[in-house]
Amino acid sequence: MLALWTWIVQALFIFLIVDSVGGGLLKPCGHIVPESPVVAPNTTFTAICVLDEECLSEHHLNANQILWKIKDTYVPKEQYTILNKTAASVTLEDVSSLGSPLTCNILLYGQLEQNIYGIQIRVGWAPEKPKNLSCIVNGQSNMKCQWDPGKETHLDTTYVLKSEWPTRQLTDCIPPPNVNNSCTVDMVVVYVNMDVWVVATNVLGNVSSDRINFDPIDIVQLLPPYNVTVSSSKAISSILKVSWTNPVDKPFEGLKYNIRYRTKDASDWTLIPPEDTASTRDSFTVQYLKPFTEYVFSIRCMNREGRGFWSNWSAESSGVTYEAKPSNAPSFWYSIDPSQGHGYRLLHLKWKTLPRSEANGRILHYEVILRGGKTSNFSKSINDTKLILNITNDPYVVSLKAHNIVGSSDPSTLTIPGRDFKAAHPITNLKAFPKDNELWVQWTPPNEPVNKYILEWCVFSDNLPCTPDWQQEGSATKLTYLRGNLMESKCYLITVIPVYDDGPGSPRSVKAYLKQAPPSRGPFVRTKKVGKNEAVLVWEHLPVDDQNGFIRNYTIFYRTSSGNETAVHVNSSHTEYTLSPLTSDTLYMVRMAAYTDEGGKDGPEFTFTTPKFAQGEIEAIVVPVCLAFLLTTLLGVLLCFNKLDLIKKHIWPNVPDPSKSHIAQWSPHTPTRHNLHPKDQMYPEGNFTDTDVSVVEIEANEKKPLPEDLKSLDLFKKEKITTEGHSSGIGGSSCMSSSRPSISSNDESESGQNTSSTVQYSTVVHSGYRHQLPSVQVFSRSESTQPLLDSEERPEDLQIVENGGSGDGASPRQQYFKQNCNQDEISPDLSHFERSKQVSSANEEDFVRLKQQQMSDQRSQSSGSGPMKDFEDVSAADNFGSSTEGQIQRFETIGLEAATEEGMPKSYLPQTVRQGGYVPQ
Amino acid sequence: MLACLCTVLWHLPAVPALNRTGDPGPGPSIQKTYDLTRYLEHQLRSLAGTYLNYLGPPFNEPDFNPPRLSAEALPSATVDFNVWRSLNDHLRLAQNYQAYSHLLCYLRGLDRHAATAELRRSLAHFCTSLQGLLGSIAGVMAALGYPLPPQGAEPSWAPRPPHSDFLQKMDDFWLLKELQTWLWRSAKDFNRLKKKMQPSAAAVTLRLEAAASDL
Repeated sequence: MLALWTWIVQALFIFLIVDSVGGGLLKPCGHIVPESPVVAPNTTFTAICVLDEECLSEHHLNANQILWKIKDTYVPKEQYTILNKTAASVTLEDVSSLGSPLTCNILLYGQLEQNIYGIQIRVGWAPEKPKNLSCIVNGQSNMKCQWDPGKETHLDTTYVLKSEWPTRQLTDCIPPPNVNNSCTVDMVVVYVNMDVWVVATNVLGNVSSDRINFDPIDIVQLLPPYNVTVSSSKAISSILKVSWTNPVDKPFEGLKYNIRYRTKDASDWTLIPPEDTASTRDSFTVQYLKPFTEYVFSIRCMNREGRGFWSNWSAESSGVTYEAKPSNAPSFWYSIDPSQGHGYRLLHLKWKTLPRSEANGRILHYEVILRGGKTSNFSKSINDTKLILNITNDPYVVSLKAHNIVGSSDPSTLTIPGRDFKAAHPITNLKAFPKDNELWVQWTPPNEPVNKYILEWCVFSDNLPCTPDWQQEGSATKLTYLRGNLMESKCYLITVIPVYDDGPGSPRSVKAYLKQAPPSRGPFVRTKKVGKNEAVLVWEHLPVDDQNGFIRNYTIFYRTSSGNETAVHVNSSHTEYTLSPLTSDTLYMVRMAAYTDEGGKDGPEFTFTTPKFAQGEIEAIVVPVCLAFLLTTLLGVLLCFNKLDLIKKHIWPNVPDPSKSHIAQWSPHTPTRHNLHPKDQMYPEGNFTDTDVSVVEIEANEKKPLPEDLKSLDLFKKEKITTEGHSSGIGGSSCMSSSRPSISSNDESESGQNTSSTVQYSTVVHSGYRHQLPSVQVFSRSESTQPLLDSEERPEDLQIVENGGSGDGASPRQQYFKQNCNQDEISPDLSHFERSKQVSSANEEDFVRLKQQQMSDQRSQSSGSGPMKDFEDVSAADNFGSSTEGQIQRFETIGLEAATEEGMPKSYLPQTVRQGGYVPQ
Repeated sequence: MLACLCTVLWHLPAVPALNRTGDPGPGPSIQKTYDLTRYLEHQLRSLAGTYLNYLGPPFNEPDFNPPRLSAEALPSATVDFNVWRSLNDHLRLAQNYQAYSHLLCYLRGLDRHAATAELRRSLAHFCTSLQGLLGSIAGVMAALGYPLPPQGAEPSWAPRPPHSDFLQKMDDFWLLKELQTWLWRSAKDFNRLKKKMQPSAAAVTLRLEAAASDL
């Protein structure tokens, strides 16, 4: 595109100083032809510089010394033409792309350049032919014509609108300054054809548009009617009268109109049929309008014969139709609050305000009429839209009317059934779905004739109570949408109730969303059980408030810390899923997403580690190993027992202790001492060697009355405790068992004697014991030395056996012990405490068992009446095998059984052997 | 009479409307001229109302009917019914043309007295319209092949010897009244001509007209 510019008409007169010495005249030394050219773009332009003759001769100049410059740039010499001695021309191809000014210079001697003359070149276009000429007559005589002047000329261009009748030329219309595309003729005459055209002129030429010929009457556009007013009629509420004033300035009389109207809120206009408004008038009555509705009117007009154009629309004017009685009964519904006693209930009546289109005016009040029950007729007029009545359990009929200034609506009637009414005949196939940003409800009507339907709905939420909104639908409705402010991503519980003549039918409900959204959060997944190769995941359904839609499915994502994520889709009804197969001893990360129709949301990630071994696997290994070990040990021990004598003899050969020989005591002087009570402690430690003797004594004591000796009672206590201690069932020594071992030990020693010592002692013992012969006198000192060695050997054995775990005082205790064992079933009356003391000193091995026993006893005490009673109970249990103190008795029984079954004497012996094994050390 | 009929029939080819099929003929221009006269009537009504009010009473009184004293120069539209009926189209058009030419000249003189710009503008527009009517009549005459009446000495509005203001107003009153009468008459003339020029019916009408005029 060319750079366009207009150069100001300005010739540059640059003078060459002709006579610098004389300092006289300043005189131009030449000039350029043409002096102020106007050039169209893309055309060739030639300028000639003519030098003055005088200058030439005076300064010895020549035309070939001429240099052309545009601004400060030399024009190439190829474009120069030397015409003669005094004139040279330059030809420029496209002036518009060059600059200005164009100067003619001359090169003097010494390469001194002097400016001779300069010109400014203006570039512009000739006017284009004006196009699209069109005219319009406003009112009677003003005609405005418009045209497209074409592209900018960049030159002064005048536009003139010319017009003529066939017979004469009319006055030209000259546009106001700076307007080049329109002109207004003020004295146009209609019904006379005229020619109109535009002539555009500038220095580069002139051009005329095409002529248009018309009768101005055909292009008239009137001003719109004005003073439009709208008035209503009290008599007829469906009409409005529109009045206006016709435009005065018009070249004809006949008019026709367009009248349009709309309700105030609407945007679409209704046009009154044009044939109704095809004649000149200044008012029109519009019919079939809605009552009590504001309508907006506007009018336009034109020549009745259709010549010319429609006027613009008039200013809008509005009016309100008069009120009419309400055209519909209000929506009417109720709820019952049965929590009133004495055969009464609360009736909550509620109704909706009529929409403006049905109210047909301002509703002044509502009239409620109640029939039935004890009150024959109850009528109330209220302004509110609800009413609470206390009614009996009888059926009622309630009707509602809305009143405005003109009249009342038809009644809306409801049957309130009695308390014992059973609703029936529900609708079927209830569906709810969103469509076009509304929540639609569809159902199949019941077979019975329905008066109307009531739709109730509320937000179904765990946090908020259901506060239902409702709406009424006609009996023919099968599909409708909820008219209320519904929120997105909320669950709505929609209930549809058909209403029959005798009362409401069974309601049916459905849940729906206006618009679902992804859940607010994902489910919290956790493991219920983790196995070696599987994990049972459990989760809970999302609460309704977090669902934001119907949960369609779940997806479980699980991965190891390094592995890829695996997704499993789970039906939305499930709350448990077993992941398998999993790798054992691996950390798994699992999360769960719940999906509605609109998307899903991940829950928090849960990590768990699969165990290295499956459940029971360790046990399966450990238990057999332990059992095997135990078995081996047991076998070993048994073996030891079996070979006990062998081992014993192998380790501790029987070495008799001569110092403890009893042979001295067996003198006939000493038998009384043997009859002494065990408590006398006549035997020093280690002196008591002959158990056989003591056994005999005890047997003798048995015959004596018991209370004589408190020590024996103590002994009994001790023995009893020990027995009880055994009731824990854990192996070890006990009174019962220890008494037997003592016998057994006697047997042992007997056997030992039988095998390794003289018969004399054993004969004495046995005869004394079995035949109850106090045959002390029978004893006589043996002259033989052989038995002495045996007797010296025996006491040591016995001591080892009797000492048990206690290092000192073994003999007396051993005596007590034995007495206790014998008196076991004779003297049960011993204090609990004493027994404990005795036992603790008697056998430390039993200490743990004692503790247990104490605890048990304490428990018994807390529940029982006292230690004595407790003890009695226990002893009774001991004696009769029946239990009143269950636990203790049980323990005891078990202990006894265990003692009998496991052959405690045997188990006791190894202990004594063991303990005895330490003694020498 | 027969000769007359023959003459009319002989003249028929000269009536362009009857022998041209493609050309709309003078019909539309006659209609236009008729519409223009009606429009001028309408325009004059408002102009006269304004102007007579400007003149003041008694000129603006509805029943004011002064004698026609000094307005002899105005061409009178009043003509005997029989005389009018006896006129042919050419004469009628010529009389119209001449009358409006004169009236236009007088009307331009009216402009001097008009005081308000609004009135002057209305007068100027009316003059322009009247000029349009003259052109239309000339057009119709040309279309029908009638020569324009000789213009003769154009009765230019020479400043009259100063006479009383009332008489001056009387002249203005009669000028407007005469204009009104002429526009009525012209409307009637062009309506008649329009009906006459309607195709098919035109010839019959023409014949009957000729016969009637002969009678």
